[in-house]
Amino acid sequence: MIIEALIGVTFLAALVVMLAPDEYAGKLAFALSLLPVAGSLWMWAGFDAGGNALMAGSIAYQTQLDWLTVAGYDLQWFVGVDGISLPLVVLSTVLSSLAIVSAWTPIDTRQSQFYGLMLFMEANLLGVFTALDFFLWFVFWEAVLVPMYFLIGVWGGPRRKYAAIKFFVYTNIASLVMFIGFMALVFNLPVSSFGLPEITQALQAGKLSGFVGLDPATLKLAAFTAMFAGFAVKVPIVPFHTWLPDAHVEAPTPVSVMLAGVLLKMGTYALLRFNFTMLPDVATRPLVATVIAAVAVVSVIYGAMLALAQQDLKRIVAYSSVSSMGYVILGLIAYTGLGIGGATFQMVAHGLISGLMFMAVGVIYNVTHTRMVGDMSGMADRMPVTVGILVAGAFGYMGLPLMAGFAAEYFIFQGAFASTVIPSAPLFTAASMFGIVIVAGYLLFAMQRTLFGEFSLETDYEVRRAHFHDVAPLAVLLLCTIALGVAPNIFFEMITDAIEPVVAVVGGGA
Amino acid sequence: MVPPQYYLVLAAAVFCIGVFGLLTRKNALLFLMSVELMLNAANINLVAFSYYWGNVTGQTFGLFTMALAAAEVAVGIGIILVLYRNFKDVDVTEAATMRW
Amino acid sequence: MAGIFDFAPAIVLLPFLSFLIAVGTALSGRDLLPKGGAIPGIAATGGSLVLSVAMAAAVAGGEVYDETIYAWAAGAVPGSEGLELTFGVLIDPLSAMMLVIVTLIALLVHVFSLGYMNDDGQTGLPRYYAGLGLFTASMLGFVVADNLLMAFMFFELVGLCSYLLIGFHFREPGPPSAAKKAFLVTRFGDYFFLVGVVAVFATFGTAQFVGTESAPGFPVLAEQALHGEFTANTFLGLGPQAWFTVVGLLVLGGVIGKSAQFPLHTWLPDAMEGPTPVSALIHAATMVAAGVYLVARMYGFYAVSPTALGVIALVGGFTALFAGTMGVVKRELKQVLAYSTISQYGYMMLALGAGGYVAATFHLLTHAFFKALLFLGAGSVILAMHHNENMWDMGGLKDKMPVTYYSFLAGSLALAGIFPFAGFWSKDEILFETLVHGLGGSPLLLLGYAFGLLAVPVTAFYTFRMVYLTFHGEPRTEQAESPEPVRWNVKGPLAVLGVLATVAGAVNLAPVAVLTGAHVDFLHSWLDGGFSALTVHHYEEIDPYASAYLGGEVTTVLLGAAVSLGLALLGLGLAYRLYAVPEPVEHTDKLGSVKGLLYDNYYQDEYQVYLANRVVLPLARAADTFDQGVIDGAVNAVSSVSLFSGSRIRRIQTGVVSNYAALVTLGLTALLVVFGVLGGWLL
Repeated sequence: MIIEALIGVTFLAALVVMLAPDEYAGKLAFALSLLPVAGSLWMWAGFDAGGNALMAGSIAYQTQLDWLTVAGYDLQWFVGVDGISLPLVVLSTVLSSLAIVSAWTPIDTRQSQFYGLMLFMEANLLGVFTALDFFLWFVFWEAVLVPMYFLIGVWGGPRRKYAAIKFFVYTNIASLVMFIGFMALVFNLPVSSFGLPEITQALQAGKLSGFVGLDPATLKLAAFTAMFAGFAVKVPIVPFHTWLPDAHVEAPTPVSVMLAGVLLKMGTYALLRFNFTMLPDVATRPLVATVIAAVAVVSVIYGAMLALAQQDLKRIVAYSSVSSMGYVILGLIAYTGLGIGGATFQMVAHGLISGLMFMAVGVIYNVTHTRMVGDMSGMADRMPVTVGILVAGAFGYMGLPLMAGFAAEYFIFQGAFASTVIPSAPLFTAASMFGIVIVAGYLLFAMQRTLFGEFSLETDYEVRRAHFHDVAPLAVLLLCTIALGVAPNIFFEMITDAIEPVVAVVGGGA
Repeated sequence: MVPPQYYLVLAAAVFCIGVFGLLTRKNALLFLMSVELMLNAANINLVAFSYYWGNVTGQTFGLFTMALAAAEVAVGIGIILVLYRNFKDVDVTEAATMRW
Repeated sequence: MAGIFDFAPAIVLLPFLSFLIAVGTALSGRDLLPKGGAIPGIAATGGSLVLSVAMAAAVAGGEVYDETIYAWAAGAVPGSEGLELTFGVLIDPLSAMMLVIVTLIALLVHVFSLGYMNDDGQTGLPRYYAGLGLFTASMLGFVVADNLLMAFMFFELVGLCSYLLIGFHFREPGPPSAAKKAFLVTRFGDYFFLVGVVAVFATFGTAQFVGTESAPGFPVLAEQALHGEFTANTFLGLGPQAWFTVVGLLVLGGVIGKSAQFPLHTWLPDAMEGPTPVSALIHAATMVAAGVYLVARMYGFYAVSPTALGVIALVGGFTALFAGTMGVVKRELKQVLAYSTISQYGYMMLALGAGGYVAATFHLLTHAFFKALLFLGAGSVILAMHHNENMWDMGGLKDKMPVTYYSFLAGSLALAGIFPFAGFWSKDEILFETLVHGLGGSPLLLLGYAFGLLAVPVTAFYTFRMVYLTFHGEPRTEQAESPEPVRWNVKGPLAVLGVLATVAGAVNLAPVAVLTGAHVDFLHSWLDGGFSALTVHHYEEIDPYASAYLGGEVTTVLLGAAVSLGLALLGLGLAYRLYAVPEPVEHTDKLGSVKGLLYDNYYQDEYQVYLANRVVLPLARAADTFDQGVIDGAVNAVSSVSLFSGSRIRRIQTGVVSNYAALVTLGLTALLVVFGVLGGWLL
């Protein structure tokens, strides 16, 4: 029942905050958002599941109720978590709370609606990561887009309408493609419900029948392609990434935090759950694996190169997200415990670190009202603590050991290097690893030009330090990042436990 | 008993007259009348088949349609009045503002 | 004494604690601690020094220690067959020696900083001491690391500290830029290192340096694999020998970056933007030594790969000469020292590549002392000169700063390799090892020997050019007339290091041992203890080199020492001739365009900047244009096409009711016809 309570409380909180007066909507939203944080941490502490939820593993905090029956399929309220989803649940609640605090300064209109939508989005995100019935999952999946659309479209920058529509239409079309792909599978399986475990197990038992002249193998390939393309937009993978920088640049800081921190992880989470868990026999075909690995490498290097060319701090971080998510894809396709485990860990790690970076850039923007690299220098002189944390976060992004990013990237590299699924795995791995040099390049250049040197910024007001409540979430995120880097087992142990069955199917090693 | 073909031919004829009126007239009142003709063509069919099958459902629907037609006329006349008020005319081709 | 090793983690944790205290002070923004937070740092490094000496004493008693103390992600991967990612502590003769070096110099640098930073009224001191503390902790963590992954992690962390400390004066334009360059260039090397770490794990399933009897470390496994006793996973279709060479060279990438070897040496001279004590600690004695230390740490792995050894030797020898020549023309005190550092680490690499494990370690030891001394001496001079580093503005400081002068002179004699100072013994041993192994059938090493030998007079020349310009002759500026006096906290560390630079050679009097037969090569015996797979004689067994002598061993020893000492005296004499005059002039101007070439560092910086600014950046911009134009263009094109077709198709909506009615009728008719045709009613 804890999951229902978590989602229910968050929805209720959204409603309450919507109706609250603007003056204290932010504080109220923060206070209420602590409830799901506490709930998710409590879930983490009492977590006792083993194995993968989709593959006959035990599921923690499970509820399974029949809801409707449509055309012979049971639609269920079926939620629960395993080692893959729980870290993402914790990430969502923690990051939402911190994002709400980071909104206190920049959001100065329609506060109650803003915070209400943030909480509404959080509730739906929790639904996405806990739902184990396809229909339920899809409802949450789509419902996340709605608050996001308004958050960008109402509180965004000058081109907010363009960005919001682009985001919504692009990801929505992608969902449609994915939906068709998945339905093509379900309708040709002897299953009686949309429960993801049932579907997964039926697929792996080889119960898929052909469809209008396609044999099961071809049908699987087609479905895999459709779902991969659909999720690729969400992740985003090059070349489906162009909505991301636009959305980030226009979105207000807290929304960017949520977008980069959690929304992108929906894509990789779904890829792991659907493509890589349900259809391992397609993913491990040499050609498919090569293409996916190549796409991952291109995402990493190309994304990093794009980040190098940017002048807008937010665009830099946005493109570097493309780069970081490339690592996740590489880890997933490796089909090793460390590879997929590292990819899942990277979802959390990148959520924290990119959130930190967007927030830190936002704090600076609150003061400077510009994000262009050339417009400011020497910010360290005026905002020492913020800059200190930003520098630490940037090094975390570069994969500094004992911070979460390094752990995740190292697991991925180690897992991918010895992968038996990717042909010439060492070469692909080594190529993608070059990303760690480029990331250091653009972040160091940007930091040198904006943070250091003599202070200069053209303003008609006194540049002052940031508020305590602007900096506190940054510090919390930094501490989380370091904690996960020093002790990755906080999540990594449960992740690998849930990954093992997935890897065992293809006979992958460590 | 009169075979249903006759009724069908009659209904088709009435319907075609209605369609012809709809396509060629510009006057909104004539429009309304044409629509009434088409409706009643359908009514004829309903009643004819009802009689043919010995089932009263069709006749019931015929009555429904009449009531509906009456209501429709009331609404239609209302629309025409508004049309006249706005365009000083009852020419339907003049009122072409409901487009892109 | 078994219990003493239980305190080994404390060596790392004490400086880390001082880091936390300093960070706390810095965050509070108030002057919470006296001396800007220096005291905790001094106490912590002092404590670490005491513990390190205790460790060394225990090691001297024949004990060693290798324990896993923290499972970072161990056992978390089911079915991974022991791929354990752990932190452990390895205390053996090599690491014990390094621990003492690092903690001693860290302590002295902390004390020196009291004079250099505090007395100079610098601001941001808690941040400075936080950086020093974190650096010391990371460096010590690297030294005691018992596996390659842990070594890599701390290797990166010292890079971060280097970045933070070089960029300490962040309000000026130079330091942030230098810091960025230092991190970026070493990161480039570390990229290869990381690939190497991953490859080692993938190849051997472990990255332990030592391991246990049943599960030995990867150097031993590599050896066994070559003897067919162990099956290593090799990749890319390479055999074990070739693959091990590839892996070795990958790890070497990190070494070349961190130890500032050609071609990744360009960051070190720039790093001199950092405060001078930082240069002494990080960019001379310890962090730069990390690369060399790493090769020594996993020497067993390199020893089985002749190609890798050859590359190490050639890179080292070439760097020794190459960097030395640039040091000849520099005007600034710290620049000379920076190039000298690069050159000296080149010697160590040469020694390692040439099978001179003891010689390299020996030079690492002596160099740490005399180069730290020289940097601190330079710091003392710079302090006295109000942060003017140009040697041409100095002169005549000898009488005004006697302690600095004499200690600096001791360091210079050691650097130049003049008998009997520390540097003479270690450098001589490097050259000797290279020579005999070269004669023993590895002609490649003779090339390395030639580089090393040529670098000797160059070293002596630039060293004494520096000494004469700084301390001798007449003062050339007002600052040099009346230098700022320095206090005990500057003189103390100088005196300690001065003594060490003079006598440290005594730890391994190898030539004397050969000549007299007395066992005075203590360092050799020291490094021959500990884990059997990490001993000198084991390395000598597995390395591909044989020894041969010119005449007899004694003759070769004497000849080698005489040649290198003679060349050093030649360089010294030339410097004396040219610069030990009251009014020296820039004789290097006579080199003409060669001087320009040397002064501009053979345009090494230019080509790297060119690569960054003229190749990578335009490439990135091109990618951006492509992205915005083609990829995003395609996305926007889809939306434009939709909008455009919509705007055309909507013209059907004329708004005229009759048209709609006509369309409906037509549609109905068409539908009827279609049904008719399909249903067979028509036709």
